[in-house]
Amino acid sequence: MGEDLVAGRAFPDLVLPDHAGNQRHLSQLAADDPVLLHFYRGWWCPKEQAYFRNLVGLQDEAEVAYTRFVSVSVDPPEVQAAFRAGIGARWIFLSDAERQWIDRLGLMEKTDTSHRPYLPTMFTLGPDLTIHRVYNGYWFWGRATNEELRQDFRAISQASRSDWEPPQS
Amino acid sequence: MSWLWFDLCPDPATGTVASARVSDANGTPRGVLCAWASDQDRPTPTAAKVDSRAMDPCGEPGSVSLVLAPDGLYLPFDDSAVAHATRMVLAMPPADVCSTLVDGDDRFRGSVTGTHGDEGRLSYDPFGVLFPAVVLRVEAGLLGRMSSPVGPVTQRYGATNPWPWDRFEPA
Repeated sequence: MGEDLVAGRAFPDLVLPDHAGNQRHLSQLAADDPVLLHFYRGWWCPKEQAYFRNLVGLQDEAEVAYTRFVSVSVDPPEVQAAFRAGIGARWIFLSDAERQWIDRLGLMEKTDTSHRPYLPTMFTLGPDLTIHRVYNGYWFWGRATNEELRQDFRAISQASRSDWEPPQS
Repeated sequence: MSWLWFDLCPDPATGTVASARVSDANGTPRGVLCAWASDQDRPTPTAAKVDSRAMDPCGEPGSVSLVLAPDGLYLPFDDSAVAHATRMVLAMPPADVCSTLVDGDDRFRGSVTGTHGDEGRLSYDPFGVLFPAVVLRVEAGLLGRMSSPVGPVTQRYGATNPWPWDRFEPA
């Protein structure tokens, strides 16, 4: 993993096509909200399928909590669109099928020489893309649990929402 | 938040910032879609707020699925049926334009979903289960392009704004 991808540093403002083929900037997707930036191997990996089921469970909370999810893989957009629909995800997927970012970020899983996928990694980000916490998901138990994500988003929101304490007037 | 007044009028209206004639699939004229600046009084009794990104006076022709509540009807924006429709929109392939139509602070009165390409995208409109939907062909001069909503957020950013506008106004 790139040395810069640590807590307190700004995550690069990725520019990639989404699952519908539209070019998107990560900063635009964040739109002043906390973000889960989730790199995954691909639709074919049973661990990813299991992890996505967790995230789909969490999206019912995120949809009312002004919090964004963004998932990134080397799958082409049309494959991501089908996978997204199949699992019932309602957030944006970004496709790095052209491998524009995987090496720059130092996030290629080098032990899989067949797919050369993204190393499963989760970043919780502040609204300005500052990294709050990094989760190494190479082993499944290294991934962020939904409870850890709740705790991260609480901390990020508390720090970034100027009206976290209810206004008195 | 940047929003505009929006309505379907029987004839061209004055003072608009964008407008275009519309017709149905048979080519029958169905009126004029009009947008007005938000800093003026409500231009028609039935005008509602629309996301300004949905409107473009230089916009190319296209098609819209237009959902309009019958006169006098509305749903609270927090109604679970409205929330479910927004979930469905997030799950579907994105359109070139999508905005709910809001009356006052908390009244859902319809939606506009548009495309400059395949009209088939408009064959199912989740908001069409709430109020009647009609697919209309739109001449040039109205329909913009906007990024698809990010999700999974279904809440409005401020109680007066049309979903899916995606950020709070600066304090």
